[in-house]
Amino acid sequence: MEGKFPSPETTHLLQRIKEFSRSIVEDLAEGKSPEISINRFRNYCMNPEADCFCSSDKPKGQEILTFKREPQTYRIDMLLRVLLIVQQLLQENRHASKRDIYYMHPSAFKAQSVVDRAIGDICILFQCSRFNLNVVSVGNGLVMGWLKFREAGRKFDCLNSLNTAFPVPVLVEEVEDIVSLAEYILVVEKETVFQRLANDMFCKMNRCIVITGRGYPDVSTRRFLRLLIEKLHLPVHCLVDCDPYGFEILATYRFGSMQMAYDVESLRAPDMKWLGAFPSDSEIYSVPQQCLLPLTEEDKKRTEAILLRCYLKREMPQWRLELETMLNRGVKFEIEALSVHSLSFLSEVYIPSKIRREVSSP
Amino acid sequence: MEIIAPVPKLLIQLISSAFQRCRLAEDLCRLSILLDQSTDKDSPITCISISDTGIGCNLEEFQDLKCPREFNGVKIWDGLLSIKTTCFSEDEVYNYHINLDEYTSNKRLKRQPSQSKNGAKFSGTEVSLSVFGSVDVLVAPIIGMIQKMLVLQILNVTMDMMVKQGASPGTQTQYVFAVNADKTPSFTASNLERLKSGLEDYVLRHGNCVDMLCDFCFSDREHLKVGSGTACHDENRKRTGGIMEVVIVISDLLETTRQCTRSCDGKTEVLYFDNFSPSSIPHVALSALKKVDWKSYGLILGNVNDKDGHVFLEWENFPSYVQIQIAIHWYHNQYPTRQKNGPGINLVKKGIKNALDDLKAKHEGFLLSSHARKICSYVPDLARSIAGLIFSSTDLDFKGDCLSVLGFQPQEVEREAVEDCIQRKIVTVIGMNERKPQKDQEAAPFLFFEGGSETLYFEDEELEGDYYSTSLE
Repeated sequence: MEGKFPSPETTHLLQRIKEFSRSIVEDLAEGKSPEISINRFRNYCMNPEADCFCSSDKPKGQEILTFKREPQTYRIDMLLRVLLIVQQLLQENRHASKRDIYYMHPSAFKAQSVVDRAIGDICILFQCSRFNLNVVSVGNGLVMGWLKFREAGRKFDCLNSLNTAFPVPVLVEEVEDIVSLAEYILVVEKETVFQRLANDMFCKMNRCIVITGRGYPDVSTRRFLRLLIEKLHLPVHCLVDCDPYGFEILATYRFGSMQMAYDVESLRAPDMKWLGAFPSDSEIYSVPQQCLLPLTEEDKKRTEAILLRCYLKREMPQWRLELETMLNRGVKFEIEALSVHSLSFLSEVYIPSKIRREVSSP
Repeated sequence: MEIIAPVPKLLIQLISSAFQRCRLAEDLCRLSILLDQSTDKDSPITCISISDTGIGCNLEEFQDLKCPREFNGVKIWDGLLSIKTTCFSEDEVYNYHINLDEYTSNKRLKRQPSQSKNGAKFSGTEVSLSVFGSVDVLVAPIIGMIQKMLVLQILNVTMDMMVKQGASPGTQTQYVFAVNADKTPSFTASNLERLKSGLEDYVLRHGNCVDMLCDFCFSDREHLKVGSGTACHDENRKRTGGIMEVVIVISDLLETTRQCTRSCDGKTEVLYFDNFSPSSIPHVALSALKKVDWKSYGLILGNVNDKDGHVFLEWENFPSYVQIQIAIHWYHNQYPTRQKNGPGINLVKKGIKNALDDLKAKHEGFLLSSHARKICSYVPDLARSIAGLIFSSTDLDFKGDCLSVLGFQPQEVEREAVEDCIQRKIVTVIGMNERKPQKDQEAAPFLFFEGGSETLYFEDEELEGDYYSTSLE
């Protein structure tokens, strides 16, 4: 944090930034066109044979940015702008969020996505993670349950108040002393479900850790989950709505996102299980007809696109089957629909029975 | 009563021949033109005489000359050209009369008694004729032609013209035309060098050799941007020996330190020279001008106006303070110069392109295509970021290294100067990228699988983020 001496990683990164700047200056001084080579990463493709290299975290190709093309020049421009800010953050031992960076020059950046891309390019260029650049996220995740840990010296004792939501730490690399008595980790898509579980005192009845990203999970949430998996070696179950959006969230936790493909190893949960909700659950658990909403055109297109992803074919064909079922039936429903018979159905019946089945099946 | 149309054209041809003879003499020569109008106001007669001290003339020159005695029912002249000529080594001065109204060759040329030179060694020619009409209409075209001849900067020829409209000195005007001695290249300079220098002078005098050099422009010769290009046929092709030289001068009035009053209508005058003689632009060159890829130099060609052989190019979206002047010279360096092959359209295009490339190479950021100019719009920002990375670094060694690589002394350096320097260097690189052949833009061959099919498998990366996330990443 502020006031500390720069870590050796920071010094090393600053050195590399200087080398990079120096090489550009030298090229220009000699009248040569600078070339910035950025590796391309992806975590999936649409190859129907799935005989691709997406499961490897190695780069798949390179882009070479030069001043010969206008879009590339723009990309270099944004990269250098953000790099300048990053150099200052590292030298002064300060941190800033991506949003902060955007607001430093909103008229130049024009959109947050531009900043995000520049940050991604810098991470790839210097082969580091975003937190190495002193760029932090504004954390969005929540955690509760049978867990204790420390973040940058502060104690988080979730054990003490099992049904209280704690924020997922933002500086995940500063998390230490993780202690847990949980049997599994449950990841839920929505805050509403998280709150329902808290109200039902789910963690009192079940020895587990519950996490939510409150929708599409941010990097801190994913990194924290990954850290817990690495340290605790617990099974991970994921509960999402039965719709394309929910499935996308599940896929992000499990396989990582395209945007952060360069950092996929530290962000994915490789053995995460899909607990529900499945299309078949609507019959098994008698979801009333009015809760079954038709898939929109957008939903269908989205689902068809997801079905093409190579990792589904290669690694989780059974997920693919469920998704196809959803598409064929043409309906979707939210997790809350399962509680239509009784409010605590989710916490008392659905989740525990599903987990028991998971545990018993191979 | 004015002199009729075919006469100025004839005079220009005669002056042009006289000029060639002087040029080829490779010695200091003089070309004098005399226009002597009789005092009879009702039906004036003008005696015209063109004399030169060049090599003796070859009667072949006059073979193709034609000028009818009448035109539209009006009498022009008696059709008789009187020629006196001698070569250096000859003993006599030969006299001829040529009837330009006559087409049968044996009736056309009549030899007259010659005169002995009595051992004197000299060469030269005098061509005389008389025409009906007053002199006024002749002066302007002759001066116009000589203006253009001066562009070639043939240093060994001085020209003068005497116009007499009566006996008293008040009715006589003398013009002397000489190449400006200050800034001319030496006698050993190439034709191209001289053409360059001549066109620069032409521009600085606003195309008018009679007036003084414009004080405002002349002191700022540096604001002219000059490019030159040469093109010749390949040696093994049928057309041999011709040389195409093109010079382009661009003046940017915004860059002058003082205001010049000349109006700049943005039109480009194209001067064409055929074998050291100003001539009207041939069709081939006109087509070539239309076919040059002006767009890749950031220029959009609008109209091409051809008025009696004077060509003016008009540009679209062109700043009013910039003027472009083009001179094209096609020559064989042999005498007599008629009936040589003209240049092919590709040769003219190549010469123009070489001149444009030369301009571009000499001046960074100049004549960039619109694509390159779009890229240049990022330059100030890029320079600011790069300068920022240097100046905000806490590592003084790094700072010093970068500054010295850019050519600055680390101690007394100002950030603005460094940014300027970086800007210029990036613009140079952008210009250079434009000129290089686009070899490296082909995709590298794939070793293991077809390149084409790969791209079908990638979803648009943006979609994922757009549809779902609110930038929570």
